[in-house]
Amino acid sequence: MNEQLTLEMLIECIQSGNANVRAAARDQAGQVGAAAIEPLAGIACEGEFEVARAANRAMQNVVYHAGRPGASDEATAVSAELVKLVGAEPPLQFRRDVLWMLWQIAGPEAVEPVAALLDNADLRDDARMCLEGLPADEAVAALRAGLAAAPDDFKPAVAHSLRKRGVEVPDVPNLRLVPTKETSVAPVGR
Amino acid sequence: MIHHKVTLPRRGFLKTAGAASAAAVAAPYLVPANAMAANDKLTFGHIGVGGMGGGHLRGMKGRMDRGQVNIAAVCDVDERRLENASRMAGSQADVYRDYRYVLDRDDIDAVVISTPDHLHAVQTVHAAERGKHVYVEKPACCTVQEGKAMIEACNRAKIAVQVGSQGRSQPEAYLAHRYLANNNIGKISRVDCWHYRSPSGGTHPDSDPPEHIDWDLWLGPLRWRPFNRGYLHGTFRWIMESGGGQIRDRGAHVMSCAMWWMGADGTGPVTVEATGEAPRRGLWDSAVNINVTYTFKNPDWVLTWNQPGKPVPPEERTGREPGGRISRPGYGALYTGSEGTFHHWGGDGGTWAERKAREWEPGPDAKDVYRSPGHMEDWFEGIKTGRKTIMNVEAGADVAILTVLGNLSFLLGRKLQWDHSKREIVGDEQARRLMDRPERYPYAI
Repeated sequence: MNEQLTLEMLIECIQSGNANVRAAARDQAGQVGAAAIEPLAGIACEGEFEVARAANRAMQNVVYHAGRPGASDEATAVSAELVKLVGAEPPLQFRRDVLWMLWQIAGPEAVEPVAALLDNADLRDDARMCLEGLPADEAVAALRAGLAAAPDDFKPAVAHSLRKRGVEVPDVPNLRLVPTKETSVAPVGR
Repeated sequence: MIHHKVTLPRRGFLKTAGAASAAAVAAPYLVPANAMAANDKLTFGHIGVGGMGGGHLRGMKGRMDRGQVNIAAVCDVDERRLENASRMAGSQADVYRDYRYVLDRDDIDAVVISTPDHLHAVQTVHAAERGKHVYVEKPACCTVQEGKAMIEACNRAKIAVQVGSQGRSQPEAYLAHRYLANNNIGKISRVDCWHYRSPSGGTHPDSDPPEHIDWDLWLGPLRWRPFNRGYLHGTFRWIMESGGGQIRDRGAHVMSCAMWWMGADGTGPVTVEATGEAPRRGLWDSAVNINVTYTFKNPDWVLTWNQPGKPVPPEERTGREPGGRISRPGYGALYTGSEGTFHHWGGDGGTWAERKAREWEPGPDAKDVYRSPGHMEDWFEGIKTGRKTIMNVEAGADVAILTVLGNLSFLLGRKLQWDHSKREIVGDEQARRLMDRPERYPYAI
């Protein structure tokens, strides 16, 4: 695949039954840019197992490529496309993957839609991690608001993210070193 | 708890110039383990007891049977492995699933951490916060920030850390180091490491985890994902987030030898540039092929990782050499100097030096270098005296960071600029973000 990869070629090749063709498309997906995100997401959610995986990884490669120095407009465009995917429709694990990509490239524009997931029982920890990784001050503000609204069992995690961002959170316990999981194995020979 | 000394000066053997006699070279540097007084016995907990962890536990059990140490706890998230470990360790050892119970024990002086790579940093930091000395398998960390956090936590706690790049402690590693330190090949400008490819695979679908494995604890700091048996056991190293391929697994050995022998501990490259190829299908995503060039300045030299590279055919041996016969010729490194070359095979538990280094006889003015009594024994001495271990936390983190940067350059498809004085990538905002990664709570640094 030596010629310039177009969106149409990428989408066709990523769905190929030939793993070599898929891999070549996946590896060059970055050059297609933000326009590739939505169609790749569709394939990642609905394609055959290995095809879906190739599409998912192609999206990640778009994120890596758009994040290169001097390409901030591309990064913003990719971030905008990813934000559209954290809503309710895509499968849960795929939304987790998107949140993971977002902290790698997004700016303040992603904070509000991600913060809205802090009260989603399935995605709240992925949203917290995404906000923790986003360098924007708005992300810290969202975590502060999230802490105030969080149920007790989620507060320590949000407080941890805030501490990572340099915020003192004296009133929430730090549970990192508290053991919780007991084994059912008995010592042999006792 | 043993109250270890922490203020002894760093050992002075690194540049022991001059008239080191053969007798001095041969003298034991450490207190022999069997000379430990009964009230000096260290008490250990083993966290992660399969694979390498099983080997470490077996070795420690031998020391316990000789009256040298105590084993108070074994821990694993796989209860089948835990049961086997309990059988091996003996009935005096308590058993745990959650490593934090081990860290809570005041009677445990030190822990041996042999879990998958993504758990090394968080468990080391948590152990340091509980004041435990740490032996942790290599590679030390999965991100730059993990490495920095390990250094900070371990230095703050003043604990002895040994990272499991045991190649530095092999008999022929000493001979290679001594040969190179005495300028037998002149000024070294290149070290080219070679290794065979990483595998492709992991084609099984996700599933429910088996009942004997605590998947939540296994994932630890990693973001949540469904169980897949392509992750377990040992195959975690073919996945970027939990391993990173041969460059991380064996790079943490072969490049560890290079940094040690080049006297480059405490330094880092100024640029890192990688190319490679990811697997074409399957769960495993670590590069099958990867070539990385690390450029060092002041002094100027180049380190490369070539996967695959150009292996040097193994030399014929009798088996009576210090390292015995070469059983793993598929990886090693070629050193190129102004007056010749030198190569070795392996670099981990098996390290085999080229004949000319083994047969070289030091003259009266030769420099000597440190000869480790064994990787574990070197750690014990670090615990007892407070001196730096041969693969201390800074050295271990820095070698792991080399491998991290290689993979990151490969993933991003671009050259990275590195400021080792700050242990930071410069000039690339996204790459700087990727020096760290958010962690699942509470398994977080």
